[in-house]
Amino acid sequence: MSAETIQLQMRADSTFVDASLLDGMSPPDLLVVEAEWLTERSLVMQELLRSAVPRSAWPQSIHWDWRRKAPELELLESSGFGIVIESRWQGVMLTKSASHFATLAPDKGKPLVYIDYLEVAPWNWRIPEIARAGRYRGIGPTLFWRAVRQSADEGFQGRVGLHSLPQAEAFYMKCGMTRLGPDPGKQNLTYYELSSKQGMSLLKQGEAP
Amino acid sequence: MANKRTMTLNLTDAEMAALEALSTKKDLSKTAILRQALRLYQMVDTRIERGDKLFFEDEAKKDKAEVMVL
Repeated sequence: MSAETIQLQMRADSTFVDASLLDGMSPPDLLVVEAEWLTERSLVMQELLRSAVPRSAWPQSIHWDWRRKAPELELLESSGFGIVIESRWQGVMLTKSASHFATLAPDKGKPLVYIDYLEVAPWNWRIPEIARAGRYRGIGPTLFWRAVRQSADEGFQGRVGLHSLPQAEAFYMKCGMTRLGPDPGKQNLTYYELSSKQGMSLLKQGEAP
Repeated sequence: MANKRTMTLNLTDAEMAALEALSTKKDLSKTAILRQALRLYQMVDTRIERGDKLFFEDEAKKDKAEVMVL
């Protein structure tokens, strides 16, 4: 696993802290992630139930289980990235780099990095309904930006694709992705794509969106 | 970045022509094409070993054919 030091901001007082952006997560790492996050997921769920928050306002990844995704990392085409602060996983992303292809012209049919899963740790979720502000800011954008970099490193010129949960769609629009509509083959989740032009422009900015 | 090792690859003219054509079409280096091919082959092989099947589907003609991978 390789690591680079980045800085992330604490929401509480806007101070910056050092974080490690890790590349090359292994299946056991995902078991650790879920072991760390499971209790917090349960706590969030209890608070949502106690406050009678409608299901439509619950975080849409609350049911995810990273242990189930661990076998994916045994494949050469899968890569795992994560952000660690003080030995705790703050966000994790799985990408695929061989089985997905661009649909946007002029690069239609050329390979792209597909973001299979991206989630921030439950203690970083912002849920106003239960007064949760989230601990660190910028985990999702940093991981997304890392996927664009992976695409450039692979020779895919910044092309990235993903199916977005409805709650995350505004974020991916902000990242400059193109909305290509619901995909019946993927539970009708909306498919988004970042073209090489959009990707390279994002990388030129030199920081996460 | 993972460590990388170098190997020599001997290809026939036809294989090299196919590799060069794919390299041009996909706008990737020949090394990247071969790396993609290995990733895809391993993914297909792993999923077939798990019991999955591989199909090609022509939506327009409603044709669906299973690909036998040996």
